[in-house]
Amino acid sequence: MFGAFRPTNSLGGGLLWKIPWRLSKFQKARQRKRLRAVDTVVATLDKALAKQSITTKAVERWKEEMPIEQEMVPKDKYTIFDRKEKKYRKSIRKLPKWTRVSQRVNPPGY
Amino acid sequence: MSFFRITLMRSGIGLTKRTQGVLKALGLRHRMTTVFYPVTSEVAGQIMKVKELIDVQEVDKPLTRAELKAERRPEPGFYLEKPAPR
Repeated sequence: MFGAFRPTNSLGGGLLWKIPWRLSKFQKARQRKRLRAVDTVVATLDKALAKQSITTKAVERWKEEMPIEQEMVPKDKYTIFDRKEKKYRKSIRKLPKWTRVSQRVNPPGY
Repeated sequence: MSFFRITLMRSGIGLTKRTQGVLKALGLRHRMTTVFYPVTSEVAGQIMKVKELIDVQEVDKPLTRAELKAERRPEPGFYLEKPAPR
């Protein structure tokens, strides 16, 4: 349950490993940087393929569905939808591998 | 013929077998490995699968391993006037 750690009373109390709900301004800056990095990768791909006038389904679908970092609302950059939470939003840090996975779109209206 | 210069910036540890399979197919063994592939839709699709982990540039010609190593080598700071007599 706790991995390599012994399940003690202090560990099981739920007060030791709290992580804040909100991201700090530095974490937010890094998240924006990561989003922009993915945007530049897709832009490079798009440009390179356009030079040879070929299209790829993956690239077209990404451009159609996913917003770029500038178009995103801060809420979408730093939180994700969760139907169990009070306001239907939870911190994006709680998404496993959130720094290496693309999560940009949430259900409309939430 | 242009090429993609792909560098692995973040590792695939803990990611799905599919993603790790794509990295293996691209030949990206560990962080900062650089590979060159021609610009095709197949390679573009592979890059899209792992786009959060890599850095891509478009270049004219692919570099060999020796050339990549030479890129990283710093200036020696000296030059040999005359080789030592042996």
